[in-house]
Amino acid sequence: MIKGNQYSRRAMLKGLGASIALPFMHSLAPQSLMANPMTSTGGAPKRFACLFMPNGVHPDKWSPQQLGSDFQLSPILSPLEKVQNKLLILGNLSNKHSFRTVEGHYTKTANFLTSMKVARTVDSNVDAGGVSVDQIMAQHLGKNSVYPSLQYGIDKMRSGVCKSTGITKLYGSTISWETNRQPCSLEIDPRMAFDRMFRNYIPGKKPMPEDPNKQSVLDIVMEDAKRLEKRIGIEDRNKLNEYLSAVRSVEKRLDNQASLEDFEAQITPDMKEELKRMDIRIDEWAEYAEGVDVTEKTRIMLDIMVLAFWSDASRVVTFMMGNSASGRNFAFLEGVNGSHHAISHHKYDPRQMAQYEIINRWHIEQYAYLLEKLDAIKEGDGTVLDNSMILFGSGLRDGMRHSPNDLPIVVAGSAGGRLTQA
Amino acid sequence: MRTSLITCIALLFVLAPDFSFADTKEDRKWRRIAHPIIREYCTECHNAVDKKAGLDLIEFYYVPSVISRGETWRHIVDLVKNNEMPPHGSKPMSQADKDSFIYIINHVLDNALQDPDPGPSMIRRLSHREYSYTIKDLTGVDFNAMSYFPKEGSGGEGFDNQSGVLFTTPLTMERYYMAADSIVRELRNDPERWDDLVSVDYSPGIFRHFANWVTSWFSDDPPRWSKPVRRAEEAILPFATKAFRGFLDGEDRSDLMSFFEKLYFDGLWKEDDGFDDAIATVYKRILVSPIFLYRSEINQPIHKPYKISNVELATRLSYLLWSSMPDDTLFDVAYREDLHNPEVLNREVLRMMRNPKFSRFSQSFATQWLGVEESLNTPKADKELFPEFTDDVRQAMREEVVRYFHHVFSEEKDLLELIDSDYTLLNEDLARHYEVPDVSGDAFRKVNVAGQGRGGVLGMGAVLAATSLPNRTSPVLRGQWVLEQILGTPPPPPPPDVPELSEEGEGGHDELDLRTLLEKHRSSPNCAGCHKKMDPIGFAMENFDAVGKWRNYYRGEATINTSAIMENGQMIDGPLELRQALSEEKELFARNFVRKMLSYALGRGVGFTDSPTVKELTDTLLQNDFDSEEMMLALVNSYPFRYRRSDMTELYIKEYRR
Repeated sequence: MIKGNQYSRRAMLKGLGASIALPFMHSLAPQSLMANPMTSTGGAPKRFACLFMPNGVHPDKWSPQQLGSDFQLSPILSPLEKVQNKLLILGNLSNKHSFRTVEGHYTKTANFLTSMKVARTVDSNVDAGGVSVDQIMAQHLGKNSVYPSLQYGIDKMRSGVCKSTGITKLYGSTISWETNRQPCSLEIDPRMAFDRMFRNYIPGKKPMPEDPNKQSVLDIVMEDAKRLEKRIGIEDRNKLNEYLSAVRSVEKRLDNQASLEDFEAQITPDMKEELKRMDIRIDEWAEYAEGVDVTEKTRIMLDIMVLAFWSDASRVVTFMMGNSASGRNFAFLEGVNGSHHAISHHKYDPRQMAQYEIINRWHIEQYAYLLEKLDAIKEGDGTVLDNSMILFGSGLRDGMRHSPNDLPIVVAGSAGGRLTQA
Repeated sequence: MRTSLITCIALLFVLAPDFSFADTKEDRKWRRIAHPIIREYCTECHNAVDKKAGLDLIEFYYVPSVISRGETWRHIVDLVKNNEMPPHGSKPMSQADKDSFIYIINHVLDNALQDPDPGPSMIRRLSHREYSYTIKDLTGVDFNAMSYFPKEGSGGEGFDNQSGVLFTTPLTMERYYMAADSIVRELRNDPERWDDLVSVDYSPGIFRHFANWVTSWFSDDPPRWSKPVRRAEEAILPFATKAFRGFLDGEDRSDLMSFFEKLYFDGLWKEDDGFDDAIATVYKRILVSPIFLYRSEINQPIHKPYKISNVELATRLSYLLWSSMPDDTLFDVAYREDLHNPEVLNREVLRMMRNPKFSRFSQSFATQWLGVEESLNTPKADKELFPEFTDDVRQAMREEVVRYFHHVFSEEKDLLELIDSDYTLLNEDLARHYEVPDVSGDAFRKVNVAGQGRGGVLGMGAVLAATSLPNRTSPVLRGQWVLEQILGTPPPPPPPDVPELSEEGEGGHDELDLRTLLEKHRSSPNCAGCHKKMDPIGFAMENFDAVGKWRNYYRGEATINTSAIMENGQMIDGPLELRQALSEEKELFARNFVRKMLSYALGRGVGFTDSPTVKELTDTLLQNDFDSEEMMLALVNSYPFRYRRSDMTELYIKEYRR
């Protein structure tokens, strides 16, 4: 398609990089948002995001040496310098249901936010033990949002089953569970993620009006479902329940015209400018960098998250920076030569561990990028970051040993003052 | 009060699938005999805390739970018989205990197999692949569901059509709606295709307009008259019958038509294309209906397994062979003849296997069985080391897998050729990659590659790349792949605190040192057991580099040593001898292939109660020189494919109420 272009790809990307590095600087939060009656405390909305990193961390380069608020960032955490005073770096946490479970990565991913026992199964009775914490938050924080919660990722779901451990690999691709038996779908395409929320608000683009028959179509297919229910067994009915609740959630958004109008009203000119830039940036990425530039894809997804928080489209987001046991080739980083998963099994070889550290730091750089963006948006007396709780973590400590002890966990932001960096 | 009690009971079933309603005599017998022996000899290791080998033997309280892990229990019988368990150093089992232990296990398992059990058959949402093909066959529209809908995982033996892993989330639902919208819009905007589908037309004449105008003076109700409804029925009902894969009952019909009437009489009749627009919206509604999106079978509350209906069988058949809905002929046969009659069934299957749509089976089955999809979509090979691994080459590699499989399955009909043959299917791009001369053009053709290391799936670039690391080959991964995908004997997971595949961590080591390193590794007794199975297989394949190119030297200098000793002591050297050695493992390969096929056909994992069917189909392969056609016929005639077990929960509740 773009064979034989006369620009080198690298030059192209550099050019792109320069034109897109426009942070959401000093923008003011929408007025209506400040007065939003939905927020329980009357202040700005509280938000939650979770970034999941696969394959654990270099065990010696993660934890800071000091306890308390006066501490030096560790080598891996060093990119967080600018937001250091808004961080909680938590040590010695582990998930008790990650012990004595199926060996390997997958179950320790599925239960990252459920903290429960994951069922060993290849397909029947997929079970993460419970609802994930982001979904519980969505029920409270997100109940009046246009999108109660969002789930993002950058990789396709893992296919296949692990025959040696007898589990489906889908456990390794999902941290958000709507119910113990139903994982949430991951959006991995920046264009679709962006259009879903903002397609109708981009200046200069023709809005796509909602199908006027949608409500009546959904009503009538619910009748179909009820008729179908009578013909099938109870197990099947449980499965069909997914359909019913999915339809209900789509209907809820249709019903709630008022909240959509609220949402539209609070999209400020600043935001509109940003939406326009984002729209172009996604087009450029799709044309030149798709499948090539992982960093840019990650950042686009993170920026969409920022837009979602800023515009109050959603208050709860999870983001998988890779499926568990991801074998992404990180050779695009200086000093790295090989797959993430392979390098995480470093066998204590210092050369391997050095590469492991660089890969870990890349993940933290993306996290820092998100935090700085959120921190640049003023909201009330603070920033969007102050009103949020942004969790970063992995289901393993040292990838070499798949160990679930002393997990690498950081929380940024203070949820509107509810968390303090003591 | 009563309803809430019933709800509670229903909930119990839902929440605790293992919950046994009545503790049966058999359950008690199992516990009386087995549990004291287990406590005395086994629970030092196989308890809830240590769970050696992943087993807590005391948690098997009920017979159904024993059956669900039937193969494990058969294995336990073997181990106890051969004095391998309890292990040396622990208290040996007395002969009397051994006898009763083996007796009770076999008793429970043999009983389970006495009455044929078709296993569970769950409601199944269409996979994205099936959705695309069904839309294509129903409407003619090409819709790429795979990239439009949220990505999904796989289950059972590793396929994306397994009911347990097909979820419907709010996001999927949103996309289903948008998909239906765009499919119907595409149809409407293409007059030719629309007229194909909707051959009827209607627009109110001048008199009707006048009559409606007059009526509107006296009544606020929208006008209603029968002609457009009768016409629309001709377009809506056949479409819905196909989409719903079954005959519509009265309620279905009236539901569909009253929606049309509402749309049409409430206003669309006044518009030029109102008749067609109303039909289009009804189509849209059909495409988001659960009856379209889910394949369901009627649950008959009877105790014994029962034959599924003709139409249900037709649907199972067409989704197995075409990944799509039945065509008109199959529907017709299901309506007029008895599809359970082997003569009719075989005739239909052979007809369907000759249809070009049968290549969808190869598309779907081969790439998933061999597990090559992921690595071709998101290649991990290092671009600087392997610039030749281009999009075109990868695309050709996928085609090779699919076309080769299809050729073997439907032309040669000898499934052993999947492991070993002297030909493959190539186009120019791939032939250049393989350094096979005299192939030009984009078209794939059968090429004789005798003596060139290729032939069979083990010589395919897609497989070789999928089992490599970004910067080099991995004999361990390749060995593990052969054990899992070809022979169906996956190595057990490594002991805790040992990396899954320790050799992987040596990414920085040169390929040259690998062999020495692995040999050292195998000197550790913890690792030797599995590595002496995996490593030799991988060594014999070292002539293929990480993107499937042939090589005789590492870095152009050191000669590659491809000789190895297989676990059974057999000496092999190079890919050819490896393939020959693997072709001798007829029974393992046959059983593994059968399990994969059965899982794909039933949309669920293969369990212990399926073992008679697995055996029957394996024997069919072994006795018929691995004839693919015979195997397919045996599969569709098999018990679990044509029978269904009722979901009895409801019946239990009713009995309880009484």
